[in-house]
Amino acid sequence: MSLSTAVYQTFFKRNSIFVSTVFAGAFAFGVGFDLGVTAFYDRWNAGKQWKDIRHKYVQE
Amino acid sequence: MAISQAVKKAVTLAPTVRTLPSGVPVAPLLNLAARPAHHDDHGHGGAGPRVDTPPRWSSGVSRTSSGLVSKTFTTISPSLYQPHRLLHTSVAVKEAPEVPDFSHYRANNNESHRALSYFMVGGLGVLSASVAKSSVSEFLQTMAASADVLALAKVEVDLTSIPEGKNVIIKWRGKPVFIRHRTPDEIQEARTIDWKTLRDPQPDEARVKKPEWLVMLGVCTHLGCVPIGEAGDFGGWFCPCHGSHYDISGRIRKGPAPLNLDVPQYEFNEVDGKLVVG
Amino acid sequence: MLSRLSAGALKRAASVGPTRASTLISSSRSGSVRFASTNSSAAFENLANSRATLAGLSLFTAGSIAWYTHLYGTFPFVGEVHAGHLSDEGLHPASYPWPHSGILDTFDHASIRRGYQVYREVCAACHSLDRIAWRNLVGVSHTADEARVMAEEVEYTDGPNAEGEMFQRPGKLADYMPPPYPNEEAARAGNAGALPPDLSLIVKARHGAADYVFSLLTGYMDPPAGVEIREGMNYNPYFPGGAISMARVLFDGLVEYEDGTPATTSQMAKDVVTFLSWAAEPEHDERKKYGIKAVILFSSLTLISLYIKRFKWTSIKNRKIFYNPPVDKTH
Repeated sequence: MSLSTAVYQTFFKRNSIFVSTVFAGAFAFGVGFDLGVTAFYDRWNAGKQWKDIRHKYVQE
Repeated sequence: MAISQAVKKAVTLAPTVRTLPSGVPVAPLLNLAARPAHHDDHGHGGAGPRVDTPPRWSSGVSRTSSGLVSKTFTTISPSLYQPHRLLHTSVAVKEAPEVPDFSHYRANNNESHRALSYFMVGGLGVLSASVAKSSVSEFLQTMAASADVLALAKVEVDLTSIPEGKNVIIKWRGKPVFIRHRTPDEIQEARTIDWKTLRDPQPDEARVKKPEWLVMLGVCTHLGCVPIGEAGDFGGWFCPCHGSHYDISGRIRKGPAPLNLDVPQYEFNEVDGKLVVG
Repeated sequence: MLSRLSAGALKRAASVGPTRASTLISSSRSGSVRFASTNSSAAFENLANSRATLAGLSLFTAGSIAWYTHLYGTFPFVGEVHAGHLSDEGLHPASYPWPHSGILDTFDHASIRRGYQVYREVCAACHSLDRIAWRNLVGVSHTADEARVMAEEVEYTDGPNAEGEMFQRPGKLADYMPPPYPNEEAARAGNAGALPPDLSLIVKARHGAADYVFSLLTGYMDPPAGVEIREGMNYNPYFPGGAISMARVLFDGLVEYEDGTPATTSQMAKDVVTFLSWAAEPEHDERKKYGIKAVILFSSLTLISLYIKRFKWTSIKNRKIFYNPPVDKTH
């Protein structure tokens, strides 16, 4: 069985499984996408944001 | 006069419905026995069967004492009904039209194409669900308290200015808050009594974080008046409105109030010697 | 639709008066199909009537107008018409490469911190910043403790107390920046009749935004020959009209930055404008991050939707309809 057929049989064939996968996927995607974009944004703007300079001013 | 009456008679149509002498039309009963007239040529040249009466073999409308009854038979006796195909939907094989060659349009690999299409639909579902969830939660978040309101939600009190045995009343979110710097005797008094017998049983330990600092809302739990400090029969507070007595831990002892004085959320800022309420 | 129009229009343009009659006559004489898009064999007419020629000519015209306008800033042939003098709208400021210019760029928060210092030490003497509270600085340019200390240095009127009197108390984080003057009249009295505007939204409230404010602060110069400036006013070409009430306030070394950055005029101007840009748009950093997410998500959704539409439409798009005309059985 090829990969496509394997994927189809496990995830896409029964609609109830398909819908559950979509919801679980949406949840995971939401978290992961946010982390990914935040990581990119912080890298792109390294040194400019408050979290990068706060160590100079904060007294623990 | 006579001419007009004659004209009226000529123009007036006779009623087509049989009427009783009183003028009430007669509605005959449904004639269930009505069947199409049988022609000699068995329908080939004739008008065809009457369409408003269902054939006897499929159902029957019969008159019973309770009214008209219609019964549909789901199975029919095979001898009764000889089906006639009136519509030809199948084409004889020899007359099959030339189906053009669609092989150029078909996907190379059926299985992977199927999986890809399902994946696209699933991907649309995932992204749409994620966008929908974000939109809804963001819009709902706008209904939460704004930053300026939250900034005023907490109040700081400098505890170093309150000596032992003193009450202080501060305003927090529009309500009075009692802060008492209790003496060791008062703490002792609050803890030695049998709290389980009280109207609202609560040990003193559960009402204070630090025994010497009693912090509670100065709102009587009966009908909301502000109790007076260092008054009442139990060495605590007394509400003048209806005579509720609270003890040195703010618990109700006598009077109509049902519950002890409420303890708000607070924490101690050890570094600055401050109490933060809220 | 356009193709039909172009064919007809160009045909009329290509064939002048007398030839039109001959074209009509020739079509009826030859017995060919009426209203055909081409009924002439002339290669030139084919070329002139083609859609490609029309498209090309339109593009060339539009492109040359756009190129001219881009180079010279005005439309060709139309020329410039002004009701007043160019100085009335102020000299157009240059585009500076602010660290927060790009669609992915956040503010430079170290610059915001320095800019606050410039505002506090130089500008706050005359300009209010009513919409910014001490708590807004927390997590942007200062720590909570620093902001609290700065707030406590200011006295605020509060009350009424239990006796019904108003009283003074040290500031807290929830309080807003104190204005230099109690009301507009006092502000005007202290500034020769001119009202120093509140700065909390100034960057959004002026054409040219940050570039304008920066150019204004660094643009003070002697008026050119022949330009008379009233006594008490100052010349600044960026200010609409050229005469501004505010004198130059930024000079080298005026402020001593706590992080050791040399405080030149342009450095102070840059920092204070960054601070004011933040004050006008505190949501800026978060907004751009959301923008990245939105653009990625919506373009992905669009591409997937396009695929799915085409996928569902394959049967329709690729169907073949055969028409077998009825056979004439009478002959």
